[in-house]
Amino acid sequence: MIKKLLSWLASPLGKIGLLILSLIVISGAVWGIGQTQTVPEQPIDFPHSLHVGLGVQCLYCHPGSLKGPVSGLPTQTKCWGCHQQIAKTKTSALLAPLVQAVENNQPIQWVPVAMVPDFVRYNHRPHIAAGLNCEDCHGDVSKMTVYENPQVLNMGWCLNCHVEQAGEDEEKLIRLTDCGTCHY
Amino acid sequence: MANLDKESAVSVNLTNPEEGKWGMVIDRDLCTGCQACVAACAMENNLAFVGEELSGNGRSMHWIRIERFWEGEYPEVKATPFEPTMCQQCGYAPCEPVCPAYATVHSQDQQLNLQVYNRCVGTRYCGNNCPYQVRSFNWFDYERPEPLNNQFNPDVTVRRRGVMEKCTFCIQRIKRAEDTARAEGREVADGEFAPACAQACPANAIVFGRVDKPETVVSQLAKQARGVKRLEELGTFPHVTYLKAG
Repeated sequence: MIKKLLSWLASPLGKIGLLILSLIVISGAVWGIGQTQTVPEQPIDFPHSLHVGLGVQCLYCHPGSLKGPVSGLPTQTKCWGCHQQIAKTKTSALLAPLVQAVENNQPIQWVPVAMVPDFVRYNHRPHIAAGLNCEDCHGDVSKMTVYENPQVLNMGWCLNCHVEQAGEDEEKLIRLTDCGTCHY
Repeated sequence: MANLDKESAVSVNLTNPEEGKWGMVIDRDLCTGCQACVAACAMENNLAFVGEELSGNGRSMHWIRIERFWEGEYPEVKATPFEPTMCQQCGYAPCEPVCPAYATVHSQDQQLNLQVYNRCVGTRYCGNNCPYQVRSFNWFDYERPEPLNNQFNPDVTVRRRGVMEKCTFCIQRIKRAEDTARAEGREVADGEFAPACAQACPANAIVFGRVDKPETVVSQLAKQARGVKRLEELGTFPHVTYLKAG
């Protein structure tokens, strides 16, 4: 049985079959990896570039990062605070989901993009307190429409910065590279 | 190895493993065995409900349990006082050197035994080597039927199948208290926060705090003559002190 299969694989038809099979496997893997790198679709194609360009501060819509772990995603009331005074809001097709959300009092289901896995406990506050700016981790948002991560948010990336921050201070290094700092 | 750790800890002005940083004192005279700590711990730390059958198979999951032994031969038996038993957060923990994945490691910063869930590969060596038998293993992914999924604590990882877990001294509360204190530019005050078990205890039998500072309540209590460490002869340097009946 196995001998028969091996001799068939050695034949020209078998080689072509093998080639097709490996192509399917490779393209499947590429598609799968690509899926993890694509930005999820948002309910509104929110143009960060436009808002930041108009001078809106990051902390106006994401105020949680100053005080606690989660920066927060704005509710429709926050959007409406400015947008109800803008005439274009009622006519723009892009803003239709916002108008609908406000009229029906339904939340906008933003999809969080800058996420860490469940076994990582991230807190914005100490990072801001350490003098980091939003763009140090989130990239230059003024050039993005829909937000996407400028780099993969993995542990090596976190630790590189933690080690750098500690510098020569051994006590700080122990504190910043302790497993319990992020994992519990 | 052990001495090396102590020296390096002293050299950078941190607490050493033998003394510890966070500690607990449990008064066996005060404990009524009401199980409030067990319930509070399960709620705080997203513990799974394994059910009657699996519990019967010895796969129950608790980070704290009320231990009680029978002394003497039947019918002349005498029950020992209740002893809430959780991870003793040993200075030199037997669970740590046996982990092949470095999933259970000693925190030099907090002087606690950490369980890093994403590193754990589920060999269960640590559980077998723990003299206090306080580790529990996720044999399955346990169901949390509606509406129980709404009571998850967002500050604690929800463990998946094949991962060992144990009491963390509510490290999420320690971290939160430290973060708040740092934001306000001060030290964490004694009694500012407590782990879920200590908070829930109606008899105040569980006291938590810094054991490396002599002025804290927990240090004062631990210094009493009634204080005993469990299985002290093993040299594990547990950070939980039991006050035995006078």
